[in-house]
Amino acid sequence: MMLTLLLTPAVIMFFVSFLKNERSKYLLAFTSFVILLPIVKLFLLPKPYAILDTYLVADRLDTYILLVSSIVGIGVTLALLTLDKHVKVSPKAYKKFYRFFAIFWVGLIFSILSNHMGIYWIGLELATLSTVYMIKTNYTSAAHKEAWNYMIVGAIGVSLVLFGIILIYASAKPILGEEAMNFDLLLAHANEIPSPFLFEIGFAITTIGMFVKMGFFPMNLWLANIERASFYPVAALFSGILESAVIVGFFRFSQIAMKINYNHLFIFVFAYTILTIFIVSFLIFRAKDFIRLFSLSGIEHMALIVIFWVSGAPFAALLHFGAHAFLKPALFLSAGVLESNGKYKIAGALKGYTDIKGTIFKFLISLFLLAIISIPPSPMFFSELYGFAAMINTAKSSDNILAMIGAILFLLILLSIIFYRFSAIYQSMQYEGEQHNKKVYISELFSLVIFTISLMILLLPSTLAYLKSIV
Amino acid sequence: MVDFLIGLFLASLIVSLFTTRLYRLLLWYSMNSLTLGILALSIGKSLDDRAMFITGVMTILLKAVGIPFVLKNLSVKFNFVRQITPEIKVQYSIMLIPAILVFTFYLSEPIVHMIHTNANYVAISISSLFLSLLLMMEHKNVAPKIIGFLSMENSLFLLGITATNGMPMLVELGIFFDLLMAIVVINLLFHKEELKV
Repeated sequence: MMLTLLLTPAVIMFFVSFLKNERSKYLLAFTSFVILLPIVKLFLLPKPYAILDTYLVADRLDTYILLVSSIVGIGVTLALLTLDKHVKVSPKAYKKFYRFFAIFWVGLIFSILSNHMGIYWIGLELATLSTVYMIKTNYTSAAHKEAWNYMIVGAIGVSLVLFGIILIYASAKPILGEEAMNFDLLLAHANEIPSPFLFEIGFAITTIGMFVKMGFFPMNLWLANIERASFYPVAALFSGILESAVIVGFFRFSQIAMKINYNHLFIFVFAYTILTIFIVSFLIFRAKDFIRLFSLSGIEHMALIVIFWVSGAPFAALLHFGAHAFLKPALFLSAGVLESNGKYKIAGALKGYTDIKGTIFKFLISLFLLAIISIPPSPMFFSELYGFAAMINTAKSSDNILAMIGAILFLLILLSIIFYRFSAIYQSMQYEGEQHNKKVYISELFSLVIFTISLMILLLPSTLAYLKSIV
Repeated sequence: MVDFLIGLFLASLIVSLFTTRLYRLLLWYSMNSLTLGILALSIGKSLDDRAMFITGVMTILLKAVGIPFVLKNLSVKFNFVRQITPEIKVQYSIMLIPAILVFTFYLSEPIVHMIHTNANYVAISISSLFLSLLLMMEHKNVAPKIIGFLSMENSLFLLGITATNGMPMLVELGIFFDLLMAIVVINLLFHKEELKV
């Protein structure tokens, strides 16, 4: 019953997208609102809640991620209503976007709620394939080329995930049989796995596949290029929702890997993420447009979430995840409005918003920009405090305390480069360039307000207590 | 029998790396899928596993017949370039392919000791994965890249049936469904739409 409720809005959206009526665009946006209702119901149910036998089981972690994703989906579809005011878009492309958004949502529900490695992979692949065509809703040759790029690199990433899953399954099959696909059983019997080395190889390959999909080293630029070529709501979906589906898999797999050999997991992930942030920080320093800047910053934040999670600070990771999931789509949507048909660049981007709507828009963007670089009271400020505290605690208990502290200091230096770049960009937006009269629409503003309220809710004591209780 | 089929699987993949014509590449992909399907049937029969039997039949119908047929139709519809010359010269490929095979056997040495069933096949499926990646890399045209992606999926399937004696039926069906979805998306990607606003 719950599964039907979860899937119904997506199925309705899929069929409505075939209607030729002009007004169906509003019906499609409304349907995306309806997505939230069954998720709120699921959120309130006692956990764990079996949705489909042992295959789909909702627990606190995945319902939180699903709730965050559905709010992002609503914000994005609201901003989509006035997409044609900022970019050249065909009416057919709108409907195609929703058609593939519906398929994407089905894939997302399966991958986020799955308690089964195979179903997780199927959902992830479905979500990946559906986003390929979303890129192509922008009828330009750049978007066409990037859609192919995404198809190929995304397929390689997802294939690596499947490769790793097969090895993990092979490592646990002697004791669990076909049940070796279940995340909860793997977690419960992690210490009994007869070939831990095989598991670790599988985990490493799966993780690399997921990291490729998130734009980690060595694939740092492919996601930025894709997001640049597609319409800004698609970029917002990539950063706010698709990466959620990937990271939830990392959370699940790493929970098992932590039980098998924590040191191996920590060193592997720590070294990989530091390398990623090292490269990304310099790419951010050289970024010359909003979309690439925010896309690269997204990679940095996903790397931080991963590192906080493996450092034993799941609370910090989940808080950072929630804050990033709301902030980054908000920034992408704002960037679309700020660039408006590619007419405006970074310098003077905040100038020219003179009416009340424009002033609120300007204020919200300033808030988002300062929040993304962790200026208090941004939720990211608190998550980074908790996260770095956990990393220092892990360093203290390790045998190589000096090397670990050195690595943490190095990470802080890299983050300060990013901080400096964002501050410089904000100043350039505010004080440089020429002034033009610019317009912002109510649906875009409403979407940004939704993200702001969601960020504020993240800081409520009850939300923080909930996040602490998740893992 | 299984050894012979595994050899055919690898041989058809290696030959496809040297192919310079699109239809011939589709034929080799079809052969590759056919040997995989027969392999699944053969292992399914020896293990008395009905699920693997169904998987084998589906592999033959979908991958050995259906997908090459659809891709050939697409190539006619969208006028694909049928001359597909690999970017890597033949003399280098001749050195590279055995190097990949030896390297993957060395790479998978620690793993094969832990997998008791068909241990060497695991090494072959990993090397097939690398060879499929090579197929994707050595061509500039999209069509061979698609075949590379599909061959990669075949390699993973081979790993699944050899390393684990078959994945659960639900997963196999899901993978087939995703493959069909991939073909639909590939078809849509070939349509070049004009902006009419």
